[in-house]
Amino acid sequence: MSTFKYVIAALLLFGTFTGCTIKAVGDPERPITINANVVVDIRGLKQTASNIEDMVAKGG
Amino acid sequence: MSVPRNSHKQKGALKFFTRLAFLFSMTAAVLGAQPVYAAQYDIKTMTPEVQRALDGRKQRYDSVQSLKGNGAIGENNQGYVTVLNSGSGADSLAQPENADRSVIYNTIVEQNGLGGGGLEKVQIAFAEVQRERARGGDMIQLPNGDWVKK
Repeated sequence: MSTFKYVIAALLLFGTFTGCTIKAVGDPERPITINANVVVDIRGLKQTASNIEDMVAKGG
Repeated sequence: MSVPRNSHKQKGALKFFTRLAFLFSMTAAVLGAQPVYAAQYDIKTMTPEVQRALDGRKQRYDSVQSLKGNGAIGENNQGYVTVLNSGSGADSLAQPENADRSVIYNTIVEQNGLGGGGLEKVQIAFAEVQRERARGGDMIQLPNGDWVKK
């Protein structure tokens, strides 16, 4: 296999995993809505809840 | 004995795709690795509204514990108190307690950018903590909706 093919493969991989910049051309009166998927860590929330309940129980 | 030219090509292609697959899996392993730690959520800005809610909860804490102890109120599975036996001030205490909790939950959602489904998760997290902290004899609602005495 030639080095050239490896370079092409590496570039493809880079593009696949790093993503690309997409420029959308559209109607400004009809904006595109993107729904982001927010991942919430339940352990982190429980720790927060525990801290707040401690504060409430101790009266400050 | 000579090796056919096509056999060399096939071996070369196989080697190439094997290397490519290896490169893919290594890249995916690096990029897909998730950090193993709990995210930090907090009340980042103490607004007057959330301060009032926290103060209100602190002030009525003993009364809430007392009403839980005699079974008048219980911790439901949505992070709020539910009146189980009206009277003895349970109604008048549960309403402001739940209003203050709602302020706190919504503040956490807003200030940590938890999005649309965030409130439900915050409520569930607080409900879990309340169940864990409940004393023996307190009424708690399990995730499946059943009420039990702890």
